[in-house]
Amino acid sequence: MTQQTPSPAGAIQFRNASITYPNGAIGMKNLDLQIEPGEFVVIVGSSGAGKSTLLRAVNGLNALTEGTVAIDGETVATHSSRDLRRMRKRIGMIFQDFRLVKRLSVMSNVLIGRLAHVPGWRAMLNLWPLPDREIAIDALMRVGITDKAWVKASQLSGGQQQRVGIARALAQQPSIILADEPVASLDPVTTHQIMKDLVRINRELGITTLVNLHFLDLAREYGDRLIGLRFGELVFDGSAKTVTDEDFRNIYGRDFTESDLLEDSA
Amino acid sequence: MRLAPRPRKNLLFWLGVIVFLLSMSLWSARGIGFSLTELVCNLTDGSRLLRESWPPDLAFLARLVDPMLETVFIAVVGTVVGGIFAIPVAVLAARNLTPNRLTWFADRNFMNILRTLPDLFWAMLFATAVGFGPVAGALALTVFTVAVISKLYSESLESIDMGLPEAIRAVGGSWLQMIQFGALPQALQHYVSYALYAFELNIRASVVLGLVGAGGIGMILETQRANFEYERVTMIILAVLVAVLMIEEVSESIRKRLT
Ligand SMILES: Nc1ncnc2c1ncn2[C@@H]1O[C@H](COP(=O)(O)OP(=O)(O)OP(=O)(O)O)[C@@H](O)[C@H]1O
Ligand SMILES: [Mg+2]
Repeated sequence: MTQQTPSPAGAIQFRNASITYPNGAIGMKNLDLQIEPGEFVVIVGSSGAGKSTLLRAVNGLNALTEGTVAIDGETVATHSSRDLRRMRKRIGMIFQDFRLVKRLSVMSNVLIGRLAHVPGWRAMLNLWPLPDREIAIDALMRVGITDKAWVKASQLSGGQQQRVGIARALAQQPSIILADEPVASLDPVTTHQIMKDLVRINRELGITTLVNLHFLDLAREYGDRLIGLRFGELVFDGSAKTVTDEDFRNIYGRDFTESDLLEDSA
Repeated sequence: MRLAPRPRKNLLFWLGVIVFLLSMSLWSARGIGFSLTELVCNLTDGSRLLRESWPPDLAFLARLVDPMLETVFIAVVGTVVGGIFAIPVAVLAARNLTPNRLTWFADRNFMNILRTLPDLFWAMLFATAVGFGPVAGALALTVFTVAVISKLYSESLESIDMGLPEAIRAVGGSWLQMIQFGALPQALQHYVSYALYAFELNIRASVVLGLVGAGGIGMILETQRANFEYERVTMIILAVLVAVLMIEEVSESIRKRLT
């Protein structure tokens, strides 16, 4: 596992950032937030609170309508698509619905993480340079599914598919990983495995990790820093270990119920 | 609880439709000079033609192999080349993938113009450009294939899940990479199916184009008919029938397996 050279830093800074969608919906409101390199941050909030909006603002999938977001001091571009692609190169993203190319092998899917790192014609003709293939294999090792390298992605279980999703992000050699409800479509056992993988990778490689979570107990168990959103606003920012039930009530604007806990709802 | 009585307007509606269709048919038949009495007279006349066309000239079969292959080749070239060109045309016309509205608008119209003009028109156009023969036929079928596939394929592309293309964007992929890895694989089955369907149409079109001089079996058919060699004409028709049926059967079974 020599190929994983951790990228430098991975600091994120929002300054008075807002996102109002074209239909008038408020996704983010006057957000000021500083995230240090290597932090493991869990983001909670009820549905529509703006969790996805926040993550997608970091890699420019959602453009701010006000304020700025910067990575290691460099403002995330909104106009130059080349600058945006250069920044995205080092930001991995993991999705609830995995988003793999189902008909391609696991290996090909992980190599997609190298798309922005190799000349375009090489990716197009599937002629990946050896170092890039080694990076992909290394990423597969980190999530423990090297034996599935040549299996079609569609033939994997949900947990395995999410591991491929993580490996694809790792293959980018990212300084930041954004995970948008990465365990929301997995069973409880797999959920804990995937969360442990994310934490371990964060510790091993020092990659700044932002995870949106639905379940409060998961947030408590795996988060270091906890961020609570409500109606697009930051309403909580503190330690995930010491967060109180009262804080949760405040974030959700209601008493929380069994459906907010993985152990009981499952 | 009882259901309300079913509305009875249906009967009157369908009666109206039938009367309308019948009067349209009569009016059209008058327009093209179609008359039943003439048809019956011509049929008796036609029986003489039938007698002259039987039995088929089996010895002629050997000379049909090459032109038959030519017909198939014209269809293959048209399908493959047209199938490749259809991809960018379809992508640019898909609302969710096109880089901007202007491109979308231009490509949409281009596609519609292609679809409006019939294959024979393209055959004539290319025949004047490169001379009568198989090349003109293949070019005509190339355009015809683009016309057939691009519209269907762009509609398939419009219905893909945009999550994967977004994921490709998120790793820093370009627009082209988003198309290649995010969009095309999702509609691949549809594409292959449409291409095979176009191939089936092209085989038949290739025969017909031969009649106007685009080479292949159609051209032989036309020369033999002009020389009143009706027994050979029968042989050709039978050969075409068998070949086309066989090709369609194979193509269709592949398509079925895909979906
Ligand atoms: N593409 C969009 N167009 C318009 N409004 C949007 C869009 N995406 C999100 N919104 C709105 O912005 C607000 C925040 O949405 P967001 O998806 O960020 O919430 P979330 O916290 O991720 O919710 P969930 O837990 O349901 O995923 C919501 O009111 C939502 O309706
Ligand atoms: Mg969300």
